[in-house]
Amino acid sequence: MLETLPRRVVVALLALSVFFPIGLVLYQSILSGPFFMPAARLSLESFVFIFDDPDFWMAARNTIAVAVGMSLIAIPLGAILAFIMVRTDLPGRKWLETPIMIPIFVSPVVLGFGYVVSLGPVGFFSVWFESLFGGVPWNIYSLASIIVIAGLTHVPHVYLYSSSALRNLGSDVEEAARLSGASPFRVARDVSIPMVSPALLYVGVLVFFLGFEIFGLPLILGDPEGHLVLTTYLYKLTNKLGTPSYHLMAAVATCIIAVTFPLVLLQRALLKNAQRFVSMKGKSARQRPLALGPWKWVAFAVILAWLFITVVVPVSGIALRSVVSSWGQGVNLLEVLTLDHFHAVFEEATMIRAIVNSILIGTLGGALAVGGYLAIGLATHRKNDGLSRFVDYIVLTPRAVPGLMAGLAVFWVFLFVPFLAPLRSTLFSVWFAYAVVWLAYGMRLIQSALMQVGPELEEAGRLVGASRPRVSRDITVPLIRNGLLGAWLLIFMIFEREYSTGVYLLSPGTEVIGAQIVSLWASGAVDVVAALSLINMALVGIGLAVALRFGVKLHD
Amino acid sequence: MTDKTILTVDNLALSYGSNPILKGVSMQLRRGEVVSLLGPSGSGKTTLLRAVAGLEQPHHGSVSIAGRAIYDAAAGIDIPAEKRELGLVFQSYALWPHKTVFDNVAYPLKLRKVADNEIVQRVHAALKNLGLDHLAERYPHQLSGGQQQRVSIARALVYNPPVILLDEPLSNLDAKMREEARAWLRNLIVEMQLSALVVTHDQSEAMAMSDRILLLNGGVIEQQGTPTEMYGQPQTYFVADFMGSNNIMAGRIGDIRGGTARIDLENGLSLWGLRRTNAAIGQEAKAVIRVEQTLLAEGPGEHRTEIDLATSMFLGDRFEYVFHAGADLLRAWGKGHEAAGKRWLEFPPDAVWVF
Repeated sequence: MLETLPRRVVVALLALSVFFPIGLVLYQSILSGPFFMPAARLSLESFVFIFDDPDFWMAARNTIAVAVGMSLIAIPLGAILAFIMVRTDLPGRKWLETPIMIPIFVSPVVLGFGYVVSLGPVGFFSVWFESLFGGVPWNIYSLASIIVIAGLTHVPHVYLYSSSALRNLGSDVEEAARLSGASPFRVARDVSIPMVSPALLYVGVLVFFLGFEIFGLPLILGDPEGHLVLTTYLYKLTNKLGTPSYHLMAAVATCIIAVTFPLVLLQRALLKNAQRFVSMKGKSARQRPLALGPWKWVAFAVILAWLFITVVVPVSGIALRSVVSSWGQGVNLLEVLTLDHFHAVFEEATMIRAIVNSILIGTLGGALAVGGYLAIGLATHRKNDGLSRFVDYIVLTPRAVPGLMAGLAVFWVFLFVPFLAPLRSTLFSVWFAYAVVWLAYGMRLIQSALMQVGPELEEAGRLVGASRPRVSRDITVPLIRNGLLGAWLLIFMIFEREYSTGVYLLSPGTEVIGAQIVSLWASGAVDVVAALSLINMALVGIGLAVALRFGVKLHD
Repeated sequence: MTDKTILTVDNLALSYGSNPILKGVSMQLRRGEVVSLLGPSGSGKTTLLRAVAGLEQPHHGSVSIAGRAIYDAAAGIDIPAEKRELGLVFQSYALWPHKTVFDNVAYPLKLRKVADNEIVQRVHAALKNLGLDHLAERYPHQLSGGQQQRVSIARALVYNPPVILLDEPLSNLDAKMREEARAWLRNLIVEMQLSALVVTHDQSEAMAMSDRILLLNGGVIEQQGTPTEMYGQPQTYFVADFMGSNNIMAGRIGDIRGGTARIDLENGLSLWGLRRTNAAIGQEAKAVIRVEQTLLAEGPGEHRTEIDLATSMFLGDRFEYVFHAGADLLRAWGKGHEAAGKRWLEFPPDAVWVF
């Protein structure tokens, strides 16, 4: 009893934290008005309203175009990148490993902003390009640009999964094919790629799914020409009717979840399948890389070009934009250099709070979140019973809810649960939303750390007389110290990068940089956005540097 | 059940889902006795050990230590592993890598709230006993495999458990060290008068280390007895086949005379042997003879057959001869090299078992 009670409390708290906000969204979607209004009654009129709205269908079409388009770009590029990085003699492979991961850690809203200042109509690169060639062939605000940028910035996701699958593939199966008479390219075609295809399928569904979630890029790049996707449509709905149109937002959210939840379940099934494939691996001896010959310089150039477009262009744009007072044609940048934007940031209490809050939520909040994930992890560790399987599904559920909507749901919870209301305008509400949104990610970090602990080390503890809680305290947790530190650093970066979850929770006292950028962007305060974006990237960069210093693996 | 019995397992059954692993196993371990659980992989020997330790969940039967029930399905008793007061030496040793040798061994005493100075004293005594005193401040990864095993044993013994369980204690050592460790371990157990239950898949290890052997097959005990009984008087074909190196030939019963039977083999030979089957004349049977009982003879005689020697192999301490008999390859051992050709081979009837 003493053992099962804390476990049940952990699981009950978890279930409540996940299901209550989501349940509230689903319930709200079938009401005729905001749920706190006495006049609200059960009705499907919110669905009728949005299904009648041509904008909704336009957004839905665009969302599918983005999801399909970015998958078509990211999957082949990511898979090829993985093959080149893992299996060939590409020059500078070791050196390239970290830069390749950068797009994952840059906030998409910052990235979107970076593209506007670099490649927009009067962007730095556009102006420079125009002065050389007399015009620019691209329009950064078109739907096609959004798709291409989304595709290119999601290449690292595909790279991550396919490279780890390729690494796990024992070299003996390839050597067996070589000795049977297959050329290196036949080996890739007939053995390596078929064996990593489950991982590719999984990542394909993942990228498609992420296409339904993206918010920052279409918010910034789609706005000027009015290209809406479902998440930005939801965001614009906030003020569509003048009054809070919660029921409409909930209806859109429900539509998105109706697509994403099955995709999450599909991913889970595919991941299991992929792991089964990997578990058949042979021994992974060092393998001789495939010689690319002169092609290696072509491959090298292509990778550099991709890094240039996805990292250098937006990041340098933001860096430059944050230190100039004006930009555009005919402006000599050297004459307009200034630190005024940073002064402006540091003179305003809101901005300072946003920075301090962001740091707090990354460090302290990250540590608390890791602690919470650890409690959940330990509650289900080595216990393959109904409760553990239940937790598996709970953990998966928030994954299906894009951050914007999760933030909204948490906002509602804190608004209308009487004893929680005082906490709404504190950082706790933001932390809570972040922790729930990144639950699945955090749990994967914790669980992969817990999996490293040999079961016999814990059994030995039991045998010599330690109870389960004692074993967790004296053996399991000390053994995964490094894993916990790594999880904390990764959660720090993720929390710094996060922007959409805090959007609806933004109020005096709960400002965080990401949400602040979204809000400032709407008001057109580009100077401050540039400075905040740079600060945001610097924070993520510090986290990344520390993580690399401690040898934290950026992926599992 | 006498007072001397320290561990009793009664009709223990365990399943993984719908897959039965133990199908009702009963056994006893007496004080100061070493019993080996022997069997091929999947026979349930490790599962039985882990069920006794409290690491697996049986669904039927009972286990008691010194008369105290630690598991009883009928009475609803299931003492958790940490309250069973048993010592277990893991196959992988399971030393905690974040604790020093001293802390590894001290941990069980710390859990028992033993006073600090007594802990120091008892841990050092335990380490000294196993020749590890000078390694107390090392971490497990700084030790050799043999040293790690000793630490693991020290940790399992330091709180004086009534029974010590050893899971494949020698399998992680290399072949040469294994024989030395076997002698050392047997000596330690006898000297310290431990009651030990040992899991092993190696029949020679089981025979060398234990007072009694339980041979498991498919979740049931196939036969139990002293090593000499197990080796010399196998009751079933499985036991005969599992223990020792054998020549095995298939055929049909040709004649039965009391406790002996003649088997007419598919390879053309015809042998008399001890009858261990109920098969009637004309029915299928198998002949089993230990390789060391298959003798190379000088010339013709009773129970001898002329047979083709294909090759001789030098094994270091002896030669092994390989014979062709129909489709079968038969083996025999001898002292010197023999050239290929016709030879006489003797099959003593009291060394041939007909199953």
